[in-house]
Amino acid sequence: MTQDDKLLDKALAGDDSSRRSFLAKFASGVFAGLVAPALMGEAQAVSAAPAEQAQQDLVPLPDLPDAVEGEHPVVRMMQDLRRALQKPMAERKWAMVIDLRKCTGCNGCNIACVTENKLPPGVTYRPVMTETSGTFPNVKRRFVPRPCLQCNNPPCVPVCPVHATYMRPDGITIVDYDRCIGCRYCMTACPYSARYFDFGNFYGDSEGGERQPYELLPTPEYGRDYDRASGASPIGNVRKCHFCIHRIERGDLPACVLSCMGRATYFGDMNDPTSLVSELIAQPNVMRLKEELGTDPKVFYLV
Amino acid sequence: MAQTMTAEPAAPQRRFNWQFTDIFVALGIVLLIVGAWGMWTRLTQGLAPTELNSYVPWGLWVGFYDYLVWLEVGSLLVFTTSVYLVGYKPLARLKPTIYFTGFVVLLMALIIVLLDLGHPARFLNVYLYPDFGSMITWMVWLHTAYLIILAVKIALAINKKPANGAANDRILRILAYVSLPMGLALIIVSGSIFGVVTARPLWNTSSLPLMFLISSLAAGSGLITLLAVLFWPDKQSGEYRQVIGRLARLTAWLLLVGAFAAAVIGFTFLYQGSPARADAVMLILTGPFWWSFWVVHLLLGVGVPLLILFAQSEKPVWVGAAAFLSVITFVAVTLNIVIPVLATPELENLALSYVDPKMNYNYVPNLVEWLLIMFILGLGSLAYGLGMRWLPVKPTQ
Repeated sequence: MTQDDKLLDKALAGDDSSRRSFLAKFASGVFAGLVAPALMGEAQAVSAAPAEQAQQDLVPLPDLPDAVEGEHPVVRMMQDLRRALQKPMAERKWAMVIDLRKCTGCNGCNIACVTENKLPPGVTYRPVMTETSGTFPNVKRRFVPRPCLQCNNPPCVPVCPVHATYMRPDGITIVDYDRCIGCRYCMTACPYSARYFDFGNFYGDSEGGERQPYELLPTPEYGRDYDRASGASPIGNVRKCHFCIHRIERGDLPACVLSCMGRATYFGDMNDPTSLVSELIAQPNVMRLKEELGTDPKVFYLV
Repeated sequence: MAQTMTAEPAAPQRRFNWQFTDIFVALGIVLLIVGAWGMWTRLTQGLAPTELNSYVPWGLWVGFYDYLVWLEVGSLLVFTTSVYLVGYKPLARLKPTIYFTGFVVLLMALIIVLLDLGHPARFLNVYLYPDFGSMITWMVWLHTAYLIILAVKIALAINKKPANGAANDRILRILAYVSLPMGLALIIVSGSIFGVVTARPLWNTSSLPLMFLISSLAAGSGLITLLAVLFWPDKQSGEYRQVIGRLARLTAWLLLVGAFAAAVIGFTFLYQGSPARADAVMLILTGPFWWSFWVVHLLLGVGVPLLILFAQSEKPVWVGAAAFLSVITFVAVTLNIVIPVLATPELENLALSYVDPKMNYNYVPNLVEWLLIMFILGLGSLAYGLGMRWLPVKPTQ
């Protein structure tokens, strides 16, 4: 735990346990420090009324979400994860919660995913969509990361002619790179465009130079080292986000979860009522993408 | 054999005996040469040099595959129904020709779709680990059975031994009855490949498989008409004119029914309450390739052929020209079914979330893709020309 985290925990553990009140206090203090000298300088001539007026004219603080109480989210998610791994696979259901109010659109999760899974050009499991709405000057913008939504009724699975893609008992849909024939039918069937085809490109090739050392590293997906630099699978296969299953199974959180600087992404077992994700999913401000299709995704968005 | 040696000691005739069907051989050789680079690129570099990408994963090749399936299955369905169910016997003279044409067209379709796979060698997995919940599995298995039946049909149809005549005819009749529901299933499955995809609103309609059936019958009828005009043995006979007249009217009515059904479905989709469907339809009607629908398909593929087929149905040359136009422009239909739907984003803001040439919605087939199509068409044309010359598959007297 970093020093900043400890300070945050300390602040959270105080009398005002919510982050909003903590920030309100903090902002009030800063404001007082800024305006006090000016007010003091004219204290003889000016009554208290303008100061009160200034306080009233302040733009209210943004409605920030409440922080999670108790342990640091990462520590708690790690504990949730390891507790879930003690159970039989069929009794856990991995889920992800993304707090859109906290996402800054930094793409850190995307880069972490590309790095973790050694993804080539044209393959990205977690793009971050930018949604802009309204007309100038009343414009709003929000960022929506889109991993594979790990649907409970995945439309991509029944269309596969060779059982190469299927849902594991723990709810994660994966691709068998050794069986996939590369017909790309599943890509057309995914309503979220969350599947990618590995065309065999390398960053070094497009630059006209040599392939870089990092491109020659095998991808650790599904707990195996797939050496795509040799031209073998997953080149010619469909690829997708698998919640970093190779990390999960050794007790680590997915790369996108750990790398999120705004702590906007949460991960855990939604079959465990005490887990952090279960707590978050139970909130009323939860939505899922294209719910009307009945795909029943296991990626939830807090709005 | 085309050449016969005389017993006389005179100098043998070495002059090559040109036949009309040698045009297919010549065309095939030209297309093979022109398309060789496309084939070489595909074999050595996979799918990377194509414009296919992760958002538009199917393109020209899948469109061509469906087009060829329409021609092959449609022609066989029309022929089998006409001869064996309706009992229109004069058309039976085209039997070996139609079977052989269907066989070559089917082979071309299968080669194209095989090369569209990321791992072509793994197509055997569809036999080893089949999931019969997938429409592609059904398509592959039905195609395989169809190919075998077609090969047997050709073998029986060209077997000229008089002793086997009656038995062959009986087996051919049984195979025809078997292949009829199989052909229907195949074309419905081909449409269902798209129809079951709930993620794509324009595809996901129960009417799409039926549209595939109607379209394939229209395309197949056009192909039979063209074959009759090209290969009918005695073109001065009254029977010839009668056959051409009937085929012309059949093709015209099938085209009309298909156009009417497509218009009804299109207008329904354009209703503003279903924007996802309307967007895809508008992309077909007014997008960058509007001309492929309005000019290639509607004008040259439907309008002009209909005019000719209704006005000049007694003139075989005109009927042949109309059938030719209709047959070759049908490819615009399948391409307009496959590509615009995929080029309509499923999530509006996804296109700019990650910029990469392999992640875009602006698919336009490139030279490599066209050259590979030329190579496969060249292969088919060459095989067709050689078959027509050396195999007894021309219409019987």
